[in-house]
Order: sequence, then C-alpha cells, then structure tokens
Amino acid sequence: MLKRLLFLSLLALLTAANTVNAYQAAVIEGVNYPANSPEAWLLKLHKGLNTLNYTVSFVVVQPNAATKPYLWRHGIVEGGTMEHLSLLNGPGTEIFRVNDKLSYFEPNSVPFSLKSKYINGPIPIQFFKDPIALNEGYDFVLVGRSRVSGKPAQQIRIVSRDGSRYNTTVWLDQETGLLLKMDTLDRSGQLIEQLQVTSLQVDEKPDPYFEKIDPSRLPEVSGIAQQNEIDFLWQINWIPAGMEIIKKDVHRLVATSEVVEYMMLSDGLVDVSVYISKANSAAKDGGWLIHESNTLLSLNNGKVEVSVIGKIPAQTANAIASSIGPSS
Amino acid sequence: MTQSKFENLSAFIDGESNESSVIEQLKADKESQDKWSRYHLVRDCLREEVAPILQFDIADNIAKALEQEPAIVAPKTQKTSIPLLGNVIPMLRQGGQFAIAASVAVAMILGYQQINQPQVDPTLNTAPTLGVGGINGGLSPVSLEQTRPLQQSDFVEQKRKINALLEDHQQQLLLKSTQAEKEAEEKEQEKQDNNK
Repeated sequence: MLKRLLFLSLLALLTAANTVNAYQAAVIEGVNYPANSPEAWLLKLHKGLNTLNYTVSFVVVQPNAATKPYLWRHGIVEGGTMEHLSLLNGPGTEIFRVNDKLSYFEPNSVPFSLKSKYINGPIPIQFFKDPIALNEGYDFVLVGRSRVSGKPAQQIRIVSRDGSRYNTTVWLDQETGLLLKMDTLDRSGQLIEQLQVTSLQVDEKPDPYFEKIDPSRLPEVSGIAQQNEIDFLWQINWIPAGMEIIKKDVHRLVATSEVVEYMMLSDGLVDVSVYISKANSAAKDGGWLIHESNTLLSLNNGKVEVSVIGKIPAQTANAIASSIGPSS
Repeated sequence: MTQSKFENLSAFIDGESNESSVIEQLKADKESQDKWSRYHLVRDCLREEVAPILQFDIADNIAKALEQEPAIVAPKTQKTSIPLLGNVIPMLRQGGQFAIAASVAVAMILGYQQINQPQVDPTLNTAPTLGVGGINGGLSPVSLEQTRPLQQSDFVEQKRKINALLEDHQQQLLLKSTQAEKEAEEKEQEKQDNNK
C-alpha cells in the first residue's frame, strides 16, 4: 500500500515537472507569447536546437523515393558550436559545421567548405534562425499531444495562410522542444514528405565524436565568384505571400551548359528555384512532374522557357511561372 | 681448338662445366650459337621432348616480322582535337561533385516514370485551376504520358534538361545558406554605416 502511494506521488511529481517545463511563457523582442502557445513552443524548439548537446537519428521518407536515414549531432564545445550531419545510406555524404564554417565531404569530389552558420539539410534553417518569422506566410496552430519516438510530444501545425504552399506539421519533444517528427502534406492530406526521428539523445556534454574533429584540418573556405551587376531581362510578377527573392543571378547549368536567368524564392520553410531561358521552339508547351518531393514545372510561353522547382504545389509553381514578364 | 670449343660447350649444356669463358664465347661466336641450339635440339630429341612443330629460330622470325611491319600503324593525333578536350575537362571537373547526384536523378526519374505509368496518380493528372496553354489546355505530367507523341531524341533531350535543372536546384540549395549569410552581413554593415 505504501509502495503504491509512493509510486503514485512520484508519477504525479514527474508529470508536474514536465508540465511546468512545457508551460513556460516566452518573451521575445518585447512580444509576450502566452504559455503553451504555438509560438512559445517554436521558440522552445529554436532554443533547444541552438543550445543543447544532442545526437539524433532520423529518416526522411518521400513517396516514390528511397528512404534516407541520417545521423545528426550538435554540440556546444569550447569556442562555439559544432554540428555533424551524415547520410547513412549509399556512399555517404558528411557535412560538418564548426561555428560558421561548413565543410562538405562527398564521394567523388574534392572536399570543400563554405561560410555559413547553418546546414541547409532536411531540418529547415528557419527553425534555427527565427521560427516566428514564418508567420509571414503561415499560421501556427497548436493541436494536441501524442507519443512520438517514445516520448511525449506536442503537435503544432504550420498552415499555409493562402494555401499556396504545403502544410507542415511538427511534433516537438515535450521536455526539450526538439523536433521529433515533421510531416509535409498537401491540401488533400496526402503525404509529400515525412521526417521521423528514431532516436533522440540529449546530453550534458557534447558527443565525444566532436573531439576527433580537428577544425584546422577542414578544407579552406572557397570563395564564390561575385557577379557584376546584371541587367535581368525577365521578372516575376507574382510571388506567394511570405516569400521573397533571396537570390538572383545568371549562370550556366553544369550538365547542359545552358545559360539561365536564375532566381531563388524562399519563405524560410521551402526554397523555390526559378530558371528562365530562351525558348527553343515557338510552340507553347508545358508540363510538370514530381521528383522526390520537389515539383518541377516547365512552361514555354513562346518567348521564354520558365522552369520552377521546389516543394510547392504544382498550382503555385504554375502561377509563378505564368507571372514571368519582361523586366521593367 | 674448334673441337675443344664444342666439347666445352657440350659439357656446359650438360651442366658438367662451369667455365664462364663458354658464355663469353657463346655471346661472340655465331657458330657456337648455332651449335648451342642444335645441341639442345638433339638432347630434346633424345629425351623425346620435341615440340610437334619445330621452330628453330623464333628470334629471327620475330625480327623479320618486325621489319615487315609498317612503321606507323596509328595516325598522328591531330592538334585540332585539343581544344575540344580543353572544353570537356573543366566541365567534368565542375560536374564532379554533382555527377553522382545527377546519375541518381536519372535513375529516380526513370524509376518514377516506370512506376507511375500503369497506376495513374490522380493528383498528377488533375489539371490545376490555372490552365496553361498546352495541348489539352491543362497541365500534363512531363513523362511518357504526354499526349503529343514524343520523338525518342526529344525525350532524351528533355530528360537531360530535367536532370540539369534538378541538379542545379540542389546546388543552389547548398549555396543558399551562404547567400543568406552574406545578406545578413551586408545588412549589419548598412546598420553600422547608418549609425555613423
């Protein structure tokens, strides 16, 4: 009898501790987000991602594509942060981040480094940077709690406000706020992509693996050629709400050495590439396909051929492609 | 003298003499060389080890054959092919790190098309609300399901283009974080300039 009482009280205590942890209110930039609001949860995710030592195994599942398993480590080490993302299937790709230096090790290529604070991998960069900024194009909805990866998790929906993008649902660890699962669904609820954590380990100390990395031996940061000011012949006249053009250049496609006008649109959650090249034929034509979870839409309006690639519905890709007009 | 010379040689062949002078003699004397091969042949005959076809002078035959061979078989490399090579190599180098991704993409697209041909995906064929000026007025998937009969070369060309685009998209995503970084820095710089 006494034992059972003890057990029950212990359980109650644990639950209480959890609850206190979860219902922390968050204040950021003067805005007070009420406790247990989706914003408070996203900030918890943001804080967890950037300040904890964690080792995570996860898989990314896409319809009609092979499942990709990853190992992901993050550590707070002397002098900053370190991160390691490894694709476990196939010949393997290893990405290391030491503070703002990103090094890529890929088979059949010379390792190289870039200057960046974030790995643009399966986890959206915006979760590391400023998840609240997603409210430009999305609404946050607190759904409920469930058990994911063996842990109690809080479910939050990130809903595209104008329906021009896929909806995302995230499940965050009740205790640490870290990501346990992320589903990308189209409007009819069909799964576009799923990220599922299979194991999450949070430690006091960084993973001993990081001790083996000698930052001085990582490849030097390679400079990216700066382009001079270019006159762009074409412009996009319709951009989905919350998206902005984050990159604009003229470059050559490696595989076909075709010259294209290039623009990248981003809302923080998805990145969309827009390619504009001279049309080969005057015949108006168009088509699209879905490769892994990317939509590729190509449109020939008789003058130019516009190709849009990104994790967006085909309708949105079409609307972007159709809005291309001569630069004013 | 001659007789003793050949006796020495015979003894040498039979392993009964270690005189190094015999070797020197063999190198210098054509007659001794002929004797050398004849002695070997005789010995082989006695031991019944003769090959079915007797080739007495392989070395000579090869020498003759070489003489008869035209001096240059392959045409000289034309200098004009070098610029072509120069064009190809940098492209390959650039492509190196993405080459694998590209080949994977080819496989995926092929696989995708094959998988999707029999079972028609409703989400694929529903024309979006915004129509394109295509053949059917709506969108059709870029695949073998095109209503317009595709030329084989057309199809290959299209596939190549699609791969090039997908590959470039991946590359741009990789470089994106760098871009964001640069912009943030520029903004920071602007702020500082404004404060001054």
